[in-house]
Amino acid sequence: MKKLCFILVIAFFMMGYTFAFAGDKGANSRESIIEKIQKEGVIRVGMATFVPWAMKDKHGQLIGFEIDVARKLAKDMGVEIEFIPTAWSGIIPALLTGKFDVVIGGMGITPQRNLKVNFTIPYDFSGMSMVAHRRKAAGFSSIGDFNKPEVIIAARMGTTAEQAAKKFMPLAQFKLFENESQALQELNLGRVHAVVSSAPMPMFHALKYPDKLFVPIQGTFTKEPIGFALQKGDVDALNFFNNWILNMHSQGFLKEKKAYWFETKKWESLVK
Amino acid sequence: MLNKKSYKFTLVDMAVVLIVIAAISIFFSRMGSLLDYHWQWEVIPNYFMFKDPITGAFRANMLLIGFMTTIRLSVWATVLGFLLGTLSGIMGAKGSFSQRFVSQLYVETIRNIPSLVLVILFYFFVSSQFLDALRLDLWLRHQSDTVQQVVGFLLAGPAQINAFVSAVFALAIYEGAYISEIVRGGINGIPLGQWEAAYSLGLTRSQTFLWVILPQTFRRVAFPMAGQFISTIKDSAIVSVISIQELTFQGMELMAATFLTFEIWITITILYFILTFPLSQAVSFLEKRFSWR
Repeated sequence: MKKLCFILVIAFFMMGYTFAFAGDKGANSRESIIEKIQKEGVIRVGMATFVPWAMKDKHGQLIGFEIDVARKLAKDMGVEIEFIPTAWSGIIPALLTGKFDVVIGGMGITPQRNLKVNFTIPYDFSGMSMVAHRRKAAGFSSIGDFNKPEVIIAARMGTTAEQAAKKFMPLAQFKLFENESQALQELNLGRVHAVVSSAPMPMFHALKYPDKLFVPIQGTFTKEPIGFALQKGDVDALNFFNNWILNMHSQGFLKEKKAYWFETKKWESLVK
Repeated sequence: MLNKKSYKFTLVDMAVVLIVIAAISIFFSRMGSLLDYHWQWEVIPNYFMFKDPITGAFRANMLLIGFMTTIRLSVWATVLGFLLGTLSGIMGAKGSFSQRFVSQLYVETIRNIPSLVLVILFYFFVSSQFLDALRLDLWLRHQSDTVQQVVGFLLAGPAQINAFVSAVFALAIYEGAYISEIVRGGINGIPLGQWEAAYSLGLTRSQTFLWVILPQTFRRVAFPMAGQFISTIKDSAIVSVISIQELTFQGMELMAATFLTFEIWITITILYFILTFPLSQAVSFLEKRFSWR
């Protein structure tokens, strides 16, 4: 009985290894996700809430710039779309383990990320901007003013905002949060000097609380390309998405959507 | 009940009540001035239910959907955890050396790693190898609408099913370790005389276990088990890290979209309380009923 149990345990572990290796092999010689999407009739898109890229409206429906892009992509491919809202810090592991086909989630193309996943050509450019607390950061007007050891900056964990903030303000202290709303709450309470995030959210937030917050630096202090992220080794999918994006650029679709979501606030009544 | 104590409201009680009330009001007034927060409670009910502008019918919104998902998740995790825990508990109490070893290994491993770590490990490493390979979502998508609705009601829709099932397993494995200890304790707590009496009546070891010991064990462990179910409801919040659309995750999504941080956290807290408080009251009521019988 004792022997049998040990054999069973060992067999179980060996089975695990076999599966693991089978999985590896599968990753190298698997079919393109484009074919899989066509065959199954559904594209699974990983995303995370970022105002105004993607958010839930007051009826629980997803809306936003990215959502429009992904819906149009699904329509052009003639398939259904399924959005899989994912916590941002776990979005790359989830992509790599096949929880969805592609990330259309405002993901900035960075070398570090690119080592793990493939990116399409950019469908959008974004930049970091800042919103600061009127009392705490009184008189601050340049990056240099914030780059001091006593300054505390809040950002969303694992985002390019975090990277940009650390690169441009290496001397400051950082407080990182899972969600932007938590970072902004910290700012509203006056516990941090500023929040760094992708434009236009910081500006919108400053407009919402004009007596408490202000925009210390006009415009953005970085410019970063935004692309779809997919698993490595899928040339067909990369080619398809790249050319789709090229098409959308030339048709003016992306520009038109960007203008609606980023330069107007017509959509605000949809959310609250 | 004869031994019920009659309470007198003394001066000390009065002082305690006054101090508590004062502390609470100081807390809230301080919070009001410190936060300087613009409360917007009026939009919250809309996130439970809204009137469809086209059909005019009421439809559930994010918070209610998340609330239901939390209930589903807890129920299934408890059912699975119960099976797993009972098996492991029996092995741990009355099994052979190697069975006890396996049971101990399971219980001690799970109890000594944080639930958050377990959930993440399970979701990204284990479930990707085994559960995702089953392609439940594909299977579900090819079923008729009725089947989809039924499965959607009991478990989750096609978009969520893979993640939901792995969350149920992860939670069940976690809760199973605690249930295992409850069951093991329950079995070991049955007096030896019960075994001896059963043997003397000519029952075999397995008959004794199945017909004499196990029924008594379940009566003993029913209340701790119900308490474990309540903990499962609370523990289910951790699966928000693997993006299961339960109450906490929905709340966080909503906060990310609306920036109504406090309103939503408070609402979520109340919802969990609404779910667990009546349950724990019911358990303690039943416990009292059964104990003096």
